[in-house]
Amino acid sequence: MDDPIMVEVKDLHFSRGNTDIFRGVDLQIPLGKITAIMGPSGTGKTTLLKLIGGQLVPDRGQVLIDGQDVHQLPRRSLFTLRRRMGMLFQSGALFSDLDVFENVAFPLRVHTELPNAMIRDIVLMKLQAVGLRGARHLMPSELSGGMARRVALARAVALDPELVLYDEPFVGQDPISMGVLVQLVKKVNQALGLTAVMVSHDIKETLSIADYVYIIADGRVMAHGTPQTLNVNDDAHVKQFVHGEPDGPVPFHYPAPDFFDDILAPAGQFS
Amino acid sequence: MTRYIATLGRATLDTLSTIGRAGLFLIQSIFCLPSREGFHLWLRQMHFVGVMSVAIVLVSGLFIGMVLALQGFTILVSFGADEALGQMVALSLVRELAPVVAALLFAGRAGSALTAEIGLMKATEQLTSMEMIGVDPLRRIVAPRFWAGFISLPILTVLFGVVGIWGGYLVGVDWLGVYKGSYWSNMQDSVDFVDDVLNGVIKSLVFGLVVTWIAVFQGYDLVPTSEGISRATTRTVVYASLAVLGLDFVLTALMFGDLG
Repeated sequence: MDDPIMVEVKDLHFSRGNTDIFRGVDLQIPLGKITAIMGPSGTGKTTLLKLIGGQLVPDRGQVLIDGQDVHQLPRRSLFTLRRRMGMLFQSGALFSDLDVFENVAFPLRVHTELPNAMIRDIVLMKLQAVGLRGARHLMPSELSGGMARRVALARAVALDPELVLYDEPFVGQDPISMGVLVQLVKKVNQALGLTAVMVSHDIKETLSIADYVYIIADGRVMAHGTPQTLNVNDDAHVKQFVHGEPDGPVPFHYPAPDFFDDILAPAGQFS
Repeated sequence: MTRYIATLGRATLDTLSTIGRAGLFLIQSIFCLPSREGFHLWLRQMHFVGVMSVAIVLVSGLFIGMVLALQGFTILVSFGADEALGQMVALSLVRELAPVVAALLFAGRAGSALTAEIGLMKATEQLTSMEMIGVDPLRRIVAPRFWAGFISLPILTVLFGVVGIWGGYLVGVDWLGVYKGSYWSNMQDSVDFVDDVLNGVIKSLVFGLVVTWIAVFQGYDLVPTSEGISRATTRTVVYASLAVLGLDFVLTALMFGDLG
């Protein structure tokens, strides 16, 4: 990768209780590109986004954004850095006491001195892009999951941030919305030159717009490369994941004792 | 045996760690004074925490004043001292009952609501998304609520006391026939502004600080699940009530008690 680097993750270790989530993850997010982070469920992809955003602190290792070590920054500097970032949460995480319009206007109101008329124009443009300009007066409780995520997307890019972290942007979208959103993420990236990190399970859509892909499993980076190279990768893990095959080295089941023994366990030995 | 020592050690460390986090949290909240742009946030919380608690405080104050007068009259009249009813009602209310009962009611109504509200924001990732937008939730969410609670409880306490005294008047003077002049003049003679009223207000300021601190910290520090919110809400009411009653004894001993 010859592009300048926006985010660099070095030797990242993170655990929850006795479970190791990451055991030495290294990755580089190039400036102005869409980088996808993929992997089986439960491998800590959302956790990785939270570590990049400085919401979680690693046990070891560094996350550098534009050369600044996120976890060494004082609280005030961390908040200043976050103004240059946008994050789309899996749940949407809209503010429940504000309507759709005010949710999208929130970053503009707190971080800029723009007049109300200009804020209105920007918010309507962002809502138009996600197809929800007509829903501006609705409260978050009146939105479906997919609509809430689209509003959250509009809010994440309201300030035209330099770095956007997308956590499952396509989940819960109908095929029409999904197609529009895929194009939207791509267009926003191209038009504004922003750097995007995208966690997603939607392989086809993600590979169609990602410039670079990291596949994470077992606490490490299992493979990385451009979508084209991963599509023809011969590694059994990568092949199974990219092509969604049920049989392969990546187990579908969470580790458990033998099914037969479990079912026939005598009473008193149930665990 | 080793297991018990380890469990005790872990529990002690957990408690110390929680106290440490709560202390840091209090310091950070105190220094987040409502700014010019945060004024409307504080005002909205004053309405939610303070104004919305007025009804329960007024009704409770009225009944407590009435009961005090009723009970006080039956005892005082047997000594021929029923004219001291005003003094008894006022001192009981101003020194003890108004600060303590208002704080307990406040913990039940506003404290539990603050914990649940902040906790639900945490569970639905609203606090996290605010952090990611570059807005400190301590400044935006916690501080306005903290200052609203701290300021509104003394006001509620004064209202409780005033209505309580009026309730005592209603029962003592209007219903039981205590002479109106002696009800007020005995009260005027015996209630000192600094020793009684001001000390009562100081108590309510301390209770306001402690109850609101417990409420917002429990909300901010809870485990973000439905069970976590339910437990934290219960903890707020229990811890805040016990803290109010315990601190009331300490403050009373310092203000009125001659322990030497």
